[in-house]
Amino acid sequence: MTKQPRRSASYSKRILSSAFSGWGARIGLAWVVILAFVACFSPLLANSMPLMVSEGGQVSMPILRYLSAEDLMLMVLFIAVLLLWKMPLKFSTKAAIAASSALIALLVGLAILSPPKTIIYDQFREKATAGNYEWQVLPPIPYSPSDYSRDFGDNSLKAPMVTQKQFHLMGTDSTGSDVASRMVHASRVALSIGFIATGISMIIGIIIGGQMGYFAGRFDMIGMRIVEVFEAIPVLFLLLAFVAFFGRSVYILMIIIGVTGWSGYARYIRAEFLKLRKQDYVQAAIASGLPLRSILFRHMLPNGIAPVLVVASFGVAAAILTEATLSFLGLGPVEAPSWGSMLNEAVKSSVFNWWMAVFPGGAIFLTVFSYNLMGEALRDAVDPQLSRKAGVVS
Amino acid sequence: MSLLDVKDLQTHLSSGDRTVKAVDGVSFSIKRGETFCLVGESGSGKSICALSIIQLLPAGIASHPSGSVKFQWHKVSGNTSSEDQSTSDDKATEPFEVGDHSSVAEVDLLTLKDESLRKIRGASIAMIFQEPMTSLNPVFSIGDQIVEALQLHHPELSDEECKAQAVEALEQVQIKSAAARFNDYPHQLSGGQRQRVMIAMALACKPDLLIADEPTTALDVTVQAEILDLMRDLQSKKGMAILFITHDFGVVAQMAHQVGVMQSGKIVEQGTTKTVLSNPQHAYTQQLLAAVPENLAKSVTETAGFDESAKSVIEAKDLNVWFPIRTGLFRRVTDHIKAVDGVDLSIRQGSIMALVGESGCGKTTLGRAILQLEKPTSGSVKLGEQELTGLTANELRPIRPRIQIAFQDPQSSLNPRLQIVTTLTEPMKAHGIGEDRDDRIERAVKVLEQVQLSEDYLWRYPHEFSGGQRQRIGLARALITNPEFIVCDEITSALDVSVQAEVLQLLLEIRQQRDLTLLFITHNIAVVEYLSDETVVMKAGKIVEQGATAQVCGNPQNSYTQKLLNAVPRLNLS
Repeated sequence: MTKQPRRSASYSKRILSSAFSGWGARIGLAWVVILAFVACFSPLLANSMPLMVSEGGQVSMPILRYLSAEDLMLMVLFIAVLLLWKMPLKFSTKAAIAASSALIALLVGLAILSPPKTIIYDQFREKATAGNYEWQVLPPIPYSPSDYSRDFGDNSLKAPMVTQKQFHLMGTDSTGSDVASRMVHASRVALSIGFIATGISMIIGIIIGGQMGYFAGRFDMIGMRIVEVFEAIPVLFLLLAFVAFFGRSVYILMIIIGVTGWSGYARYIRAEFLKLRKQDYVQAAIASGLPLRSILFRHMLPNGIAPVLVVASFGVAAAILTEATLSFLGLGPVEAPSWGSMLNEAVKSSVFNWWMAVFPGGAIFLTVFSYNLMGEALRDAVDPQLSRKAGVVS
Repeated sequence: MSLLDVKDLQTHLSSGDRTVKAVDGVSFSIKRGETFCLVGESGSGKSICALSIIQLLPAGIASHPSGSVKFQWHKVSGNTSSEDQSTSDDKATEPFEVGDHSSVAEVDLLTLKDESLRKIRGASIAMIFQEPMTSLNPVFSIGDQIVEALQLHHPELSDEECKAQAVEALEQVQIKSAAARFNDYPHQLSGGQRQRVMIAMALACKPDLLIADEPTTALDVTVQAEILDLMRDLQSKKGMAILFITHDFGVVAQMAHQVGVMQSGKIVEQGTTKTVLSNPQHAYTQQLLAAVPENLAKSVTETAGFDESAKSVIEAKDLNVWFPIRTGLFRRVTDHIKAVDGVDLSIRQGSIMALVGESGCGKTTLGRAILQLEKPTSGSVKLGEQELTGLTANELRPIRPRIQIAFQDPQSSLNPRLQIVTTLTEPMKAHGIGEDRDDRIERAVKVLEQVQLSEDYLWRYPHEFSGGQRQRIGLARALITNPEFIVCDEITSALDVSVQAEVLQLLLEIRQQRDLTLLFITHNIAVVEYLSDETVVMKAGKIVEQGATAQVCGNPQNSYTQKLLNAVPRLNLS
């Protein structure tokens, strides 16, 4: 009885396939996937230590000792998502598998990996120059982002160069560390701040906005006043104040951007729910006596989430820009490299260091542009009237 | 000589690489002072045909591979341009007054230049549309809109003359105190009045041909009767030709001299109204006419399952649903809209009660108030012995499966994100019907079979179904919890007649099998006569007449009921 003769495309599948049928959204998606790959595998892509060495006939992988649990989790997550991409499973099952595998990887990582606090990169270089290694496999970018004191003399602020001795594809910054390597590692901050801050806003916005829309009346009135209060908060200045008090942590940035940014999502969800509440299928769900949870999250949310996802894709871009702005002002997170702080260096000295402006600036531009392209395509797909007009583009 | 001569018209609509033959070799002609009705079900290409004639289809999408639309263009002399082949002046055969200086040219509308088309549109061929709510521009007053059309085609007229003519046009369509309403905006008029203004606008330039695309479909029957009367009246005065598009055979019988029956882009039968309606030749016409509710055979014995002495399932006493009107700074409640106003209703076990009324009379609100989907302001609703009003959402939940509802709009009645299987099994799960998922799916299949749908429909999404199929699924959802009572809210009004006939027959069958009690909300009197045991007529929130259907429809006592029944366009030509 449970045989399913054929599975037809669901509504969300149709929306997604029509959104990503245009070249704009595909380019955007491609860039974000590349960025995600770079962010997840950054320790393997840019590092001062060799990936694999043979020392006295013994093959070892020194990099493994220095991997953190976080690195392991991200790599497992990326591989899991890649494997699940084309699997014929429900989206919810796929999400559950990916999330649980990432969690397991994190726990395993915490249990068995204990990276040393300080890393002396010179030990590898000394051994290499001393000829202790028969052979070694270096990462594509053989520098760590915080590897300043290489024995190459004065390294600070050099334009890109590729020589036998020095291999800096994107030049070096004022501390002498490799810009390419910093770029790779900074992609983590950029991506995670976008996703986590937007995720926090979306969850708060959906919960508050959904109830405002469904219950309407007095609840709605109070809710809207709260929304207006939050819309009046200037996020950038709040961030400046918080940074001054609580230090420059990337997590505090995420939370503040997330907690102040939910009002837009709440507005959208509220409007959708007000409209959906009177739809016949919602009335039918109420008439069938379904529990409130099912009415809200099964019958209303999936039908009302599309415009929120569109806003969210712009929100991710905005969060990345906010972080870049703060870092540019010199108030960004200190512990990790960031594109914004690199931009800051471009104008710091009296000379204009073009490589410090072009590469991080280009990365910020491309990322924000990609998210906007995807948001635009999603919006066209969700709104059939718009898509007919925009049909010319794809 | 006919005014409009359509020969082998083909209209292809293309989107991407798909091409649809919307109109496929249609030929007909209309003489002056004659009404030609194009009748057909939705998607048969009748509107596209009309739009092709007036050339209003988007140029990038529509193309005409073959065919011609010859139109006798009466122009005011002086405008004659060399490109039009002028034909002999047949003023002699012209029974109606035409300006002294006019000349007649036969033009092919399909190949005519845009410039000339613009002169023809509005001046010689006018069009009125279906939706009176959106076809007037809301930011201009109705007078201005008519004046604008006039000035465009008669630039020689002064402002005063234009205004005088516009007022005259409004008077023609029987808008009361037309001069005073000249500066009214569309939102200040009712649907029927707006349609009158549309007609006034179309007639202001004294067109030779009026194309009316379902002009009365969105209107109530009493208003429809007035508008149809008005159009007939104006036609006999002005002698214009009308191309009338409709899906309603009753309207055809009232309006048409000639009729063409369309099916998938082709005219399958045409002739005078009398011959086509009384002696249809083509199988499709016969099928359509047989599906009209008046002609549906009452297969089920009339009083089957209905017992006069049966106890009542639903009993409403002094039921009120009032919506507050708030005004002023503090949103004080100053008055109420009384959607349902003191209704007493008792629906007996196993009967079908029809609730009839025009739009806005509160019939839908009453249906929802009985199901507690709308909170009644006061009064009581009893399901058997159980009082429903005043219960909280949680207390109502266990009672919900016993009272169900089916909706009007097939587009919005099913959740587009859920497969049919989820839509059908979720209520069962919520109420603990069926042991496990497999058992529930089995039950869903049985109900689907009852509404004559096959099992594999379970795994599809709503967008894959036609309107009629969706209505059946909506019915299946209402049946799935095995209810005692179902409110059917206009469930057939969005459907074509043939599909409507199927759904109605299905309802009668299910009623017999399950001993269901139905409240059938509708505005269609013919459906009421076919389906129901008892009829309740509502007006402005109140019940004006109530009784056995045969009695209410056969011998109405209330004047409103009489008016309503008289307004129904009957197929019967006598």
